[in-house]
Amino acid sequence: MDQLYGAGMRMTKNPADAADLVQETFVKAFAAFHQFEQGTNLKAWLYRILTNTFINIYRKKQRDPYQGTIDELDDWQMGGAESATSTVTRSAEAEAIDRMPSSAVKDALQSIPEDFRLAVYFADVEGFAYQEIAEIMKTPVGTVMSRLHRGRRLLRELLADYARERGMTATVAAETTKESTP
Amino acid sequence: MTDCGCEKAQAELEEFLHNELSAEQCADIREHMANCSDCSAEHLVGVTLSNKVKEACAETAPNELRDLIMSAIDRIDAR
Repeated sequence: MDQLYGAGMRMTKNPADAADLVQETFVKAFAAFHQFEQGTNLKAWLYRILTNTFINIYRKKQRDPYQGTIDELDDWQMGGAESATSTVTRSAEAEAIDRMPSSAVKDALQSIPEDFRLAVYFADVEGFAYQEIAEIMKTPVGTVMSRLHRGRRLLRELLADYARERGMTATVAAETTKESTP
Repeated sequence: MTDCGCEKAQAELEEFLHNELSAEQCADIREHMANCSDCSAEHLVGVTLSNKVKEACAETAPNELRDLIMSAIDRIDAR
């Protein structure tokens, strides 16, 4: 339940809505349990219900201006951190990320587009396989990979910005800024 | 960037990180990283990012949520 609540927090961004969402999910899962196929992944099934419920109830309320077109953004619009950085700055980057407070990481995650955020959450926090994420998010595996990649890249850029603002790294700064527009 | 398989490794690094590659592909990428500081540093950034995200997302559901859920389910059950 803590895990579903964690996912709910990433989706709704506030504790009250997250609690409602998790409750709704359990109630639906309980009512539909006869539809669950024995031997398939129960956890993935619960997350699918959670995600569906979220989309049906909450997405209608809080429109994300990018929703629907987010997958079509070109790579250049996303900025490019990886090709420019050298080995030295990469080590510095890893170190800076490692020292970053959880609150900064959480804020960064909450600020990236929802589809990217959820892909990252499902893969990195819940450890779902790409195929499972594809089923939960109802998209092709290729889309999952692209959302994950872009989400992680955006996170990296945001965390690099954070580190630079606080003088945590001197070296990462110069190289990653070129086209990182928020 | 020297062409020593970096392009392939870079493209597969994220799948490697998420355990999406076959044993053979994993072995290839590990071998490449052992000899390539660029790609191993890139991998370290990836691992660090994943760990931090995981750490940052740990949440504890409020105590009363469990009770709310149980009573909601009881109500369905009673119908």
